[in-house]
This record gives sequence, C-alpha cells and structure tokens, in this order.
Amino acid sequence: MSSDPDKLVAKADKLTKLTLTRWSADWRNATLNYEQAANAYRVAKKYEKAKDAFEKASKGQEMLTSPWDAAKHMESAAALAKELGNWNDVADLYRRASELYVECGRAQPASDALGKAARAVEDHLPDVAVQLYTDACSLLEEDDKDQMAFDLYRALTAVHIKLEKYTDAAAALLRLGLAADKCNASNSQFKAYLSAIVVYLYANDVKAAEKCYNDCSQIPAFLGSDQGRCGSRLISAYSEGNVEEIKRLAQSSTITHLDHAIIKLGRKLPTGEVTAVKAGTEEGEGLDEDDLT
Amino acid sequence: MSVIDILTRVDAICNKYDKYDVEKQKNLNVSGDDAFARGYAAVDAEIEAALEKAELASKEKSKASIVALNAELRRTKAKLLEEVPKLQRLAIKKVKGLSTEDFAARNDLVLALPDRIQAIPDGSAAAAKQPGGWGPSASHTEIKFDSDGRFDDEYFQESEQSNQFRQEHETRKRRQDQGLEMISEGLDTLKNMAHDMNEELDRQVPLADEIDSKVDKAASDLKNTNVRLKHTVTQLRSSRNFCIDIVLLIVILGIAAYLYNVLKK
Repeated sequence: MSSDPDKLVAKADKLTKLTLTRWSADWRNATLNYEQAANAYRVAKKYEKAKDAFEKASKGQEMLTSPWDAAKHMESAAALAKELGNWNDVADLYRRASELYVECGRAQPASDALGKAARAVEDHLPDVAVQLYTDACSLLEEDDKDQMAFDLYRALTAVHIKLEKYTDAAAALLRLGLAADKCNASNSQFKAYLSAIVVYLYANDVKAAEKCYNDCSQIPAFLGSDQGRCGSRLISAYSEGNVEEIKRLAQSSTITHLDHAIIKLGRKLPTGEVTAVKAGTEEGEGLDEDDLT
Repeated sequence: MSVIDILTRVDAICNKYDKYDVEKQKNLNVSGDDAFARGYAAVDAEIEAALEKAELASKEKSKASIVALNAELRRTKAKLLEEVPKLQRLAIKKVKGLSTEDFAARNDLVLALPDRIQAIPDGSAAAAKQPGGWGPSASHTEIKFDSDGRFDDEYFQESEQSNQFRQEHETRKRRQDQGLEMISEGLDTLKNMAHDMNEELDRQVPLADEIDSKVDKAASDLKNTNVRLKHTVTQLRSSRNFCIDIVLLIVILGIAAYLYNVLKK
C-alpha cells in the first residue's frame, strides 16, 4: 500500500465508482484507503483534504452499516473543519455525526457531538449555537439523562447572556431547574431559580422577577432554602428601594456560589432606577384593595 | 476472696443494718408518743441523706448530673426549712416523762437545725464569683447581691472600672462576631461544595452501573473465546499427531514395497 495519501484517495475513488467492469463498489477496501489517506493528510496538516477524506471514509462506513465508525469519522472531519474555520461546515458535520450516533441508539455521544459543535461556533454563530444547545438538551431529556443536561443548560444561559437576551436566559435557567427537579438535585435547582431571579432583576424587570419568585415558591423546599431566602431579600430590597441592601446581598456568599456569568450580573446590580419601583408597588397595593372589595 | 474483703463486706452490711437497729431502739425508747422525737429523727435522717448527696455531687464529673443533684438538694433544703417551725412548736410543748435538761436540749437542737440545713453544700456557694472575672458568668444558680440590699445612690454610679470593663467586653464581642462571620462564610462554601459533590456522585452512579455491566459482558465474551481457542489449539496439535501417523504409515508402505520388490526378484 502506498503511503501517499493522494494515490490512496485516487485508488479508493476508483474502487467506489461503478463502471462497466465494476458492478458493485468495494466499500471495504475503499473505506480502508480513505481512512489511511485521511490520517496521512492530518499528519501533513493538509486539513482541507483530510476533512474530505474523513467525510468519504464516513460514507464508506455507512455503506458498511457501521454507523458508529461513520459517526466517529464525521466527528474527526468536523474537528478539522473547526481548525479551518468553516463554521457552517462544522455545524453541519457535527449534526450529521449526532444523527449517526442516534442511529446507533446512543444519545449521550450524540448530545456530546452537538455540544462540541455549539461550543465551537458560539463565538461566531451564536444563534446556531443556541439551536445546537437546545437540540442537545432535548436529546438527553428524551433519554432520561437529565443530569448531563445541566452543563449544557448553563452554557446555553451564558450564550444568551452574552447576546443580552435576558428573558431567554431566564427561560433556560428555569428549564435547568425543571431538569434538576426530575433528578432530585435540589441544590442545582434552587441555584437555577435564584439565578433566574437575578437575571430578571438585572434586566430591570422587577415584576417578572417577583412573578418568578412566586412561581418558584410553589416548591416549599425552595422557600426555606438559602437561595430562596436570598431571593426574597433581594425582591424586598428592590421594592423598598434599598440600594445598600441590594449591594450587600450581591456580595453575599449565596450569590457567589452561582455561575460566573450570573455573579458578574449580580455585582452590577442594581441597574437603573430603584426608587421608581416604590411608587409602582404602592399602585399595586391600591389595586389589591380594590380586588379584595 | 481474701480475709480483708470479707471483713470490709461484713462491715458494710453491719453499717447498713445498724441503721435499722438504732431506729428500732430509738422508737422503743420514745414509745411512739413523742411527735417531736419522731419529727426530729426524720429531719436528721434527711439532712444526712442530703449531705451524702452533696458529697456525691462534688465528686460527679458530668455537669448535667451536678446540676440535677444540686437542684434536688435545694428542693430538700427548702422542704426541711419548712419543717423546722413545726418542730419548734413541738419542742415547746411539754411531753410527759421528759426531763428539763432534755427539754432545753431539744430547743437548742431545733435552733441548730436551720444552720445545719443551710450548711448543706448545693453548688450555690460556688456561684458567688467576683464580677471582675469577665464574660457571662455561669449563673445556673441564684443571683447573690454583694451589698445586702443597700441600694443607695452611690451604688449605681458608673465607675471608671466598670466603663473600661464594658468597653473591653464590647471590643471582644465585636472581634468574636467578625471571626464567627468568617467561619460562617467558610461553612457556606463548604456546604455548597458538598452539595455539588453529592450531585456529581449521583450523576455518576448510573454511569458506573453501565460500565459494570459492559465490563461483565466483555469478560464473559473473553472467557468464551478463550475456551474455544483452547479447543481449536488442541485439535490442531492432535492433527499434527495425525500427520505424524500418516508419515509413518507411508514409510511403512515404502518399506513394504521395497521388500516386495526384493522378494519378487
């Protein structure tokens, strides 16, 4: 076997092309050739050619009905595409790899592939990254492996915060809370809820924060927990317009244990005018009295 | 058992039952009519019991039992002090068959009783510490006033000493508070880390189970393969023996053919 990758690729191509003399393609040998060529290209740092060779090898493995190897080759191809900087390609290749993993019936590597894709493109194509993260999380949840989804949700939240889409970030955090609830990971759940409240407050949406807090208080354990108490103190500090209290709470240890992105938001609290909220709550009280009568 | 042991045991038993003996004698002497003697004997016995308990309390190591014993002692003392006025009244009453000396003696005895009762140590004596020793005094005992109730103006004046003491107390309390806050933050971090570790372990339990089952399957597959390999190898070897058999057979045939040729000639 010649070790020149170009020759190998040419040979493999000949093996797979159907002509008058060749009635069925010899995928086994072709795949072997493609793999060897791809490795050789990778060593020679010819990423473009290596990527192509890996793609062809993966197709060969598919023809040999071994989706696992096919998926592995796709992943290698995608990693090379990352080196090249073809972000769209990266996303596509990783998606293809994840589909092949799902064919094997292995959800964990599938979601891993999507996670790697999202991490690779999140700087350049954040929306695509969001989509990839969401798909990865749903894959895991379908397979009842919620625990693994935590990290993905956290990364998703970070992306949203970077894009300054705070409602989306809070929604992602609430989904984290839901996943944590399913696996009885109460600490992560409460931290997720507190982070959601902080995100709403950072977006200066006190009403939403209060609503969020009330929703989360439906869970009795949350009310009595450290995070619940911190959340309630934050909300009451906001409604009283007590800036020092807010600053003090943001420095407290409970906030410090949350995610980095959330800590950064917390340190910047309070944003906007806090005293205006006081008038708002007074109006709210007036309405309440009307409702009672 | 040595002789000494026997002697001690007999002594102890005699002491125990001596009590009953003496009581019987006293009762016989008193002929059951003298209420004073009976009451006095009862109070005496209770004082003795209280003294024993006080000794036990002073030897006790655990604070809780000391406190319990002291409380019981105080209760007994209060009860006995109540009995004393009754006994006093009885002592004044004239009983027939009693000499004047005995009568006077009774009065003295009754007067001595309160002192004896108060003298029973019950831990409150130890609590009258000087307030110069700082920090909250372990006052599980009664509050004792040093000045016997003379609360004149001078008493409540702030002296320089007490001011200083109060300031020192405040500074030390503040420092303690700071230290405690640091400890509390450290504990918070520890709690958070412990929770996270807990969740991580929970996450890894099903993974470990999967690894377990997969490795089991792989191990059994290997065993199977090994057994089959062994069979194949033995077969091969025996087939080598088989080849040797064939070779020898050919040699014999060759020899037979040669002999046949020789004989034919």
